[in-house]
This record gives sequence, structure tokens and C-alpha cells, in this order.
Amino acid sequence: MKPENLDMNMNRRQVLQRVAYLMGGVVSAPAVLGILNGCAPKQQEASWTPVFLTKEQGALVGEIAEIIIPRTDTPGAKDVGVPAFIDTMLKDVYTQEDRDRFVTGLQAFDDAARKAHGKAFVELSKGQQTELVQKANDEAVATELAYDPRPKDLKRPFILMTKELTLLGFFCSEPGATQVLQYVAIPGKFEACVPLAQAGNGKAWAQEAMGRF
Amino acid sequence: MNENSYDAIVVGTGISGGWAAKELTEKGLKTLVLDRGRMVNHVADYPTATTDMWDFPYAGRATAEDLQRQETAARTGYAITQATKHWFVDDTEFPYTEVQRFDWIRGYHVGGRSIMWGRQSYRWSPMDFEANAKDGIAVDWPIRYDDVAPWYDHVESFIGVSGQNEGFAQLPDGKFLPPMEMNCVEKHFKQAVADKLGRQITIGRVAHLTAPLAHSPQRGTCQYRNMCIRGCPFGAYFSSNSSTLPAAEKTGNMTLRPNSIVYEIIYDEKQGRATGVRVMDAETRQTTDFFAKVIFLCASTFGSTHIMLSSTSSRFPNGFGNDSGELGCNIMDHHLDVGARAMVDGFEDKYYTGRRPNGIYIPRYRNVGKDKRDYLRGFGYQGGASRGGWTGLMLDETLGKELKERASQPGPWYMGVGGFGEILPYHENRVTLDRSRKDKFGMPVLSFNAVLRENELKMRKDMANDAAEMLEAAGYRNVRTYDRETGVGLGIHEMGTARMGRDPKTSVLDQFNRVHACKNVYVTDGSCMTSAACQNPSLTYMALTARAANHAVEELKKMNI
Repeated sequence: MKPENLDMNMNRRQVLQRVAYLMGGVVSAPAVLGILNGCAPKQQEASWTPVFLTKEQGALVGEIAEIIIPRTDTPGAKDVGVPAFIDTMLKDVYTQEDRDRFVTGLQAFDDAARKAHGKAFVELSKGQQTELVQKANDEAVATELAYDPRPKDLKRPFILMTKELTLLGFFCSEPGATQVLQYVAIPGKFEACVPLAQAGNGKAWAQEAMGRF
Repeated sequence: MNENSYDAIVVGTGISGGWAAKELTEKGLKTLVLDRGRMVNHVADYPTATTDMWDFPYAGRATAEDLQRQETAARTGYAITQATKHWFVDDTEFPYTEVQRFDWIRGYHVGGRSIMWGRQSYRWSPMDFEANAKDGIAVDWPIRYDDVAPWYDHVESFIGVSGQNEGFAQLPDGKFLPPMEMNCVEKHFKQAVADKLGRQITIGRVAHLTAPLAHSPQRGTCQYRNMCIRGCPFGAYFSSNSSTLPAAEKTGNMTLRPNSIVYEIIYDEKQGRATGVRVMDAETRQTTDFFAKVIFLCASTFGSTHIMLSSTSSRFPNGFGNDSGELGCNIMDHHLDVGARAMVDGFEDKYYTGRRPNGIYIPRYRNVGKDKRDYLRGFGYQGGASRGGWTGLMLDETLGKELKERASQPGPWYMGVGGFGEILPYHENRVTLDRSRKDKFGMPVLSFNAVLRENELKMRKDMANDAAEMLEAAGYRNVRTYDRETGVGLGIHEMGTARMGRDPKTSVLDQFNRVHACKNVYVTDGSCMTSAACQNPSLTYMALTARAANHAVEELKKMNI
């Protein structure tokens, strides 16, 4: 999707939603663990060894990914292996220039956390972490949306590279595609226009994303 | 020489070669069918056909190494993924020279690009076959719509084309299976554009089975997976592998030989005819001559042209059948990557199930009837409406639990249309042999020098503006046009480098796709095209191939060749 898909009304609504979300308190729900272990990959933190990133960098990226897509009543970014996915993508898919920008940006992000709170990002409270991620996201999103036209070879900053890879890795994973979204391998028929509630379970259909989004 | 002798040789197994194989073998000719690439058995050799997205590495994306090896195919934006990359040529093995950017998107395997094609299947109209004569452009087609119409009937009936008969003069009706359905936004768009601008829209005409075909019981109906490009395990869309090659096989008259690179046509000066082809085995690199009474070149537009340019003799010092000097000239394609897109309100309570492998089609209306523009010819649009998904949350402030909740709801509706514009046949847009570079097998590579010119660039302005005008007429918002930089070839509708014509002095092929100067060699792929129209051309290649095969068999019966 392109930035032109967003309009003012929608941004305002999103901002209100976000504010409501933050004010309402962030409640993580580990209660669903039992169910999760049956249907999602195991938490990867213990077993996962980064190949491109250092262990510390991998941990930081994992925390950001989990803030972007946390575990709720469905699996989150860490549950489906997003941190390892990001590491692999950086190693095999991205260019050296992208990798350098990612690592430099990661370092700057962690430095900013230390400057603000005197501790490394991974040692901060969830609330502090969420605030930093939200701030970095909002600034980077605003910058990208302000481009007119958008540069052809857009160089996304660290926070948006992480977000892009988190969304891609999560929504193309089996839990993301089948539990948060819905997916039918062989639909067998095409119904062109049905009430939302009658389109499967009414959730958004899973989709691949081959180009930049 | 007997063991290598056949009645007919077909070079290539794509859209055209598969049809030549079917028609010639069904008419009783012992036929050798050659393809330069590996064997691809229907279903068994579609390695990713049933793979779920989460079972691909890299979420399906191409790696840096993939992009380095398959850079030209990657220019499409969709060809090089973990699900599809095995269908496209490795540039490092088979390079070509670009004097100007040229996008040559190739598939070297049995079935060719009939496996990855877009499946859109439109007839050309009387207007298209008359256009060159009427405009005084290039040379006249030696045939008219009525010459091809019965062959359109023939191929549509066999391959199965889903579509709606509309009675449009510029887009003739056909022998259609039931049409696919437009979604509610597309129906709204169709009505609004008809009411406000008087332009017609129809559902895309696609080579998919929306009902069974009695004569091809091995093929199933469309299951709406929209994973066609990987190969269809149901055989629901037309490919050589699912349709024509099995029909040829069934006759017992076909010898299919993969890994067979034809690099020269053998010409006998005394007899004044071609006697066979020279083949290099891609696995052993051994060379073998094969002989036949009639030869069909169906190796793709530039594949066939490459063979002809390489086949020099004292009779044909400038390439096989190239008395006119037109061989390799007049490269055409459809220029695209220009159109518009908008958001649509008012259908939030509506959705769809299944992934329709098709969209809508807006047939050409520019320079039709009383419409007159400052350029020649025109364009059609393909497009469609759908609801946005999780990718729409990328540039958004929502994160965390809210992001998951929003992602699970279908996003806003979008409607978009993109143009397919006619490119005129310019003598200067040409391909030549570059003898200074060799491919993996030591063959000289092709060198392309073709550009869009003034007529196409003027047309592109209309293609963007008209798209926006229609979306605005329908009352949609955030209408945005796009006009991306493109190379000739990106339409993957390359045509014209061995064109048909009435006069041997100005064309390579006659009215039956025969080489003017060598009556037992037929060229029936896109290289034969004299103009490009704006409709997807594959259906026309099939019709011309079936027509030429019929002619060849008649000529053989009459002992003319």
C-alpha cells in the first residue's frame, strides 16, 4: 500500500485510537500461554542464535517486534519467530547498504534510550520501551508521508525497516495468516460480493506482499 | 539420416509451439517437438503449486543473490519470488545486450511462458488488422479479421476462455465459458463510467475453466486460489503443459525432446528449401541434425528471430529469410505501468470470498469511431477493486494490540486501472546479434535497441488522465495517477521482428506465416505480428498457429512442400 492511501480523517481516527490505547493501560496477557504452545512455534528467545546480528542486537530487535505485534489472545511477533526472520532477511535479502543503515540506526536508537533513561533499551520497563518505539515510529511515518513524490529508492530508517519486516514476517506466518487473519488454501469458489459476516469468519483475508508496502 | 527424420519439426513448446504440436500431430504428421529447456510435466513438475506462504523462506521474497542472477525478470516486480523464480531465466547464464533498457522476460523450459502467462485472452478486431493500411504505417497486414475468426473460434473452444459476450465492435465476441463475476465496487464503477462517460467495461476474458471441457476431461475448473503463475495442479488455466501437449501426446505422433537448443536452420540451396535444424543438447553439448518436410519456428518472438539471424548461408547472408532486411526490426510490445488508483467509500459492509485470478477490462475507445486524438491507435485498461489488508498499516501510527485488531478487519476498498498501450512498428526499434558476447553454450547473444517514441509518450498522458477521469466520475476519492519509467519488453508482449506482409521486399512472412523465401518454414509466434493492437496477443498467436498448421498440412497433401 502506498502512503496516498491514507487521508486526514483516517489519521485522526488512528491517533485517537492510539491515545485511547495508551491511556487505557497496556495489559499483556500471559494467561493464554497454554493455548499458544499448542498451535504456535515455541518462544524463540532461548534457542534462537542470530547469524547476522549480535545477540544483543537480536534481543533489542525482538523487543521492538513484540511491541509492534505483541502476544494477545493470539501469538505475537516473538511466538512466530519474527526476530530470527529479521536476522535472516538482513543476511540474505538486504543489501550491504541496507544492513549498514539498519545497524547504525539500531545503535542510535539504543543510544537515545540510554540518553533518555540511563539504561539500554532492553533493560527499560515495557512502558518506557513502548513509548520510545511509538515516538520513533510516528516521526518516521510522518517523514515518509511528507514525501511528495516519494523518492524512487526510498531508504527507510531502522525503525521502519524493523516494522516492515515484523509485519511481513508475522502476517505471512501460519499463526498470523490463519489466527489473526483468515486463510483458505483452496477456496473452490468465488463469491464476488457478500455481507462481511458471511465472508468466511469476517476477518481480513491473508495476503502475500511481494513488493514494497 | 532416417532415424532423425520426421514429417514436421516444431521449435518451442510455449503458447505457439504447443498449438503447432497439437494441430500437426492430430492431422497425422510425425512431429519432433524441441524445447531448449528442461522437461516440465504437468502437475508433477510444479514444485511450489501447493506450498503455503509460510513454508517459503524469506516470506517468499527474492534474495540478493536471486536478484543478481535474475535481474531482468525481477524488473516485473512479481516474477522473482521463492514461489516462482524457477520459471525464469538466469541472466548470468544467458545475458543479452541493452543498448537501451530492454526488459526481456524469458522462461526456458517445456511449456515456456504458457505456464506464467497472464491468461487474458482477447480477439483482435477488424479495426486492428486494417490499422496499418488506414494510417499508412509500416506495411499492411496480409490478412483480415475474417481470415482469423474461425481460428479464434477453434482455439477458444479448445482452451476454454471465460468471458462475457458484449457485442463490442472493437473487441469481438467469442466462444466463451461462463464469465467470472465483478465485485460490488467493480459493478458500481462499470455503471458510473457508462453513465457519465459512455465507456464500456467488461469482466476480463481469461483462459480459465469456469465449467468443465468435455474434450479435456483431465482439466479441472478454477478453484480461485490465484496462484496460477506457480502452475495449476487442477489444470484449470490453459498452458501447453495442461492442454495442447497432452493432446499431441495422445495422438502417438509426437516426439518431445527437451534440452534441445536449435541454433541453426539447415537450408539446401539446390532444393531451395529448409531440410532441418541443428540442435545442441543442453546436457551433453553434443550437436545433432534433425530433418523434416516442414518446420515450425515457435521459439518466442526473439527466440525465433535469434535462430533466423544465426542461420546464415550464401543464399541468406543476413539471416534466414531476410531478403527484406526487416528481420529483427519493428520490435513492438505494449507499454504499461501507467494508470490511476482511488479509495472507494460506501461498501464497508461488503467483502468477497475466493481469490479471483482476473480483473475487469476496458476496451479501447480512443481513436475509435468519432474520437480523434493527437496520436495514433489507443489503449485498453485492466484493473479491479479489492479491500486493503495489513500492508496498509505500514505507514500508520497504530502499533501493538490495536494494530493486530485493525489488521484483522478488512481495510478500505481501492479501485485501480492500468493501461496497455499500442506501440507502433518502428523499423529502428530492432534486435541484432551481438557476436562479441556469448552465452553459456557459446552462442552469440542478442542486442536490443528499442525505445518508446512520441506517439507512445503522448498516449501515456491520456492513459493516466483518462484513468483518473473515470475514477473521479465514479465519485471515488484520493485519486492518484502513476506513470512509471518502463523499458520496452516489460509488457511481455514482444512482437514484430519477422513480420507478415504482402511484399517479400518489405516483410519476412507471407499471409500463412511462411517465410516468403522458403515455403516450408513457418514462423507463428509473436515475431510474425505486423502491428501490435492493444489487446493481449497470445490468443492471436494460437489462432495464427492453428491456421498455419492447417495450411502446412494442406500444402503437404498437395505435394507443394
